[in-house]
Amino acid sequence: MNISMNELKAALRRCFEASGYFVGNYEDAANMILWLEKHGLNGLGELQRALPYIAEDCDKPLSTVVYEDSTSAIIDSNGRSALNCIAASVDLAHAKALEVGIATVTVHNCHNRMFILKALTDCGRRGISIAAYWQNGSQTVTEHTAAIKAGDRYPSYSEATTTLAASEDDKQALTIICSSRVDLTSSLQRSSGNRNARYISAAQVAENKEHSVDNGIEIDDALWAEINRIGEGILVENSDRSRQGAGGR
Amino acid sequence: MTTPAAINASLRGDNALPLRPANQVMDLERLGAMHQSRLSFMRTLVRKIMRERWQIEPARFDLDPDGYGTVVYEVKAPDGLFSFVLFSDYLAPDERNDRVIATKWDLTMALVDGQVDDVYLEKLRQNVPKQEAGRVDSRVFVLSRANRSARNFDYVVNQLANGAQPDVQKIAEVGYLYRTTAVYGSGKLGMADWEKVQSRWPDFARPFSAEMFVCFMLRNFSLLQAEHIARNKAPDSFNPMQPEIKRYFGIGNSTGLGMAPYLINHPLLINQWVEMRELALARIRVLGNIDHRVQLHLIELIERSSTHTSQIITEDDWQTANNQQVLKDLAALLELAREGVEDWNSLINWSEANCSLQGQELLVSILLELYPELVNELEDYCAAEEFLDLDPLMPVQQLKEVIEQRYDWALNLDFGADGAREIFWYRSEEKMEPRLGNATEEDGKDKQMALGVGYAVRKCYDQLSEYVAQHPDHSTARFMVARPKLRGIVRRIQSMNRCIYGDIQANLLHRDVLPMHLLRSKLAFFGVSKFDPRSRLWVRNTMFQGAPLLEDIGKTFNDDWFMPLAPQQTGESK
Repeated sequence: MNISMNELKAALRRCFEASGYFVGNYEDAANMILWLEKHGLNGLGELQRALPYIAEDCDKPLSTVVYEDSTSAIIDSNGRSALNCIAASVDLAHAKALEVGIATVTVHNCHNRMFILKALTDCGRRGISIAAYWQNGSQTVTEHTAAIKAGDRYPSYSEATTTLAASEDDKQALTIICSSRVDLTSSLQRSSGNRNARYISAAQVAENKEHSVDNGIEIDDALWAEINRIGEGILVENSDRSRQGAGGR
Repeated sequence: MTTPAAINASLRGDNALPLRPANQVMDLERLGAMHQSRLSFMRTLVRKIMRERWQIEPARFDLDPDGYGTVVYEVKAPDGLFSFVLFSDYLAPDERNDRVIATKWDLTMALVDGQVDDVYLEKLRQNVPKQEAGRVDSRVFVLSRANRSARNFDYVVNQLANGAQPDVQKIAEVGYLYRTTAVYGSGKLGMADWEKVQSRWPDFARPFSAEMFVCFMLRNFSLLQAEHIARNKAPDSFNPMQPEIKRYFGIGNSTGLGMAPYLINHPLLINQWVEMRELALARIRVLGNIDHRVQLHLIELIERSSTHTSQIITEDDWQTANNQQVLKDLAALLELAREGVEDWNSLINWSEANCSLQGQELLVSILLELYPELVNELEDYCAAEEFLDLDPLMPVQQLKEVIEQRYDWALNLDFGADGAREIFWYRSEEKMEPRLGNATEEDGKDKQMALGVGYAVRKCYDQLSEYVAQHPDHSTARFMVARPKLRGIVRRIQSMNRCIYGDIQANLLHRDVLPMHLLRSKLAFFGVSKFDPRSRLWVRNTMFQGAPLLEDIGKTFNDDWFMPLAPQQTGESK
């Protein structure tokens, strides 16, 4: 079915609020998914993969800073979804870059890392350049990178299927480079064995957005029903007493 | 023409104008004492329509003699052609319900991009009358419904059918034929998102202008329909309504709690509206020249406001007492005005020392009326990009200081006191209707909406103070990694600190909170009048009373329908 972006955002907020995400975080999560979908980067497909696990994160430890110096940090996200922790890692890279010019933050044990694109975009809009790189998959390994220049509104994004062997150390890791001095761009190298490579320029991302603004969002009926079903968890049961709380006479 | 740079220079820095302080302006009770002004969205919309001479004609008029059927107006505005589509259906009196949980209405409406052909009209007919139970597409950008005023509609039709005019006194009691009970936009039910409205349709690119336009069209249709039914009922004796009486009809509105969360969830937008209104006042304080013409205009507006207020009829004791106090305030202000006003600061200061909040805020609206050249251009700056951004570099010590300075009102509240956290706001499973619950008597607090900004600030401050003691050199970004649950409130605090006015200053969790103030504040920005509270949770009011009619477009226009008065009855009303 076709829905508006606002409908998707509102339903996702309810969905994540009902899943135990806290204030500020459920808005972030909704915005991250909407951003990907709105810009033609399959946010709903990413959500579909994440949805069965989103309620588990409230039982996991919060992210911890494993190492930190003035130009870098290593953060362990303890198996959490990027939907509820990656924005803080990007903010830390942002703060360090503003202090020292360029900074690196490595995040370990973080799922659904594609959702970082919205956080990268926020950095660009606020006048700082940032790039991210990560690999994904335990059988077939894919690699991904995205970057945005300072002051821009849209990032570029590249992905490819590799012949690399999965490394236990690299699993669910992501590297962020952020700079207040250098405009960072990123694209995957033409590595031997890379297949299905695609590069989406910032201009294409912008064009995808225009399509969504004009036409709204197409969503699978079952996924839409599931998002709304989960979101019902924030609704309070109706009663005569409750009706009085709406002000009716 | 002003510019963003000029506005910024007037708001901030060494050449800033003398703005009223945030702790005065953002106090909830004062916000709830505001009145319509020439920056209200209805006023700015009507100015635009009249100045640009929009062409609005019925393209389809399929009403049966009883007024039921379909009407489509085509709207030719400078940047686009739109259709206002309206379905009029029979509704039994016992089915008429103004609450959001209703499922049937007398009228349902849609504002649509472009012309509407038969196929698309049929699609709309299948969905628009169902409102929340239907779906539309992104050609539609406003959806609304309205119910007849049982008291007025039949009376007016009968009067016209009998060749008489409606008694103006009766219109003063209920100044409308229909009440709109919801006006949806911004992507609800499959409609175009605000991003599309703002970027694709410049004619409606100001906040809520499309929603206000639908109410404006509804008001015009209501008069047309009443005349149509009366004419068919008694073609020989029918007399059309006199234009000045028509103009005195507005459109009724019922607003409940649904509007309240909007104000808390859109703090940057609300701040922008307040900034423009306050900037207008500050411009007048400094630049508003007072000559004989202005003195006379001031007297005339005070007298008019007084008459308008005296013509408000409400059963609510609280509002009646407020109106009586406003009349006393206006009488005192009139006396001063007749003695001669030499500078606005003195008058404003006098009002702050001697008048009620409603009286003070009415004076502000009157002053804005006097200087269209200083005020009107600010209407183009009432939109805001709503990014609540974290400032990751801000040292935690500075963040603490920001809270102490900008949220002292929250830190001064005692959240442990009796009743301080007794109220919770939640969404009911019944149409997700926003409701208030009492935490000591009802279940559901665990599902409450995050509207207790003051309490959230307090909790944040306490945790931050501990953190600062341990890590005085850390940045906000580092604090956020350690305390991610505070991300939402920290981001809000930092973002609102970048604004002149910031958050609404009130504890919305307190047992004695009056949501009415939130509703009234937003309605004043919209431009309604005749507030008639029906409880502390919902309010009836009147929109577009005194505004020009469709047939007035293209004629002279003095933009002077502030505080409209009952017209003198010249025709037969009995």
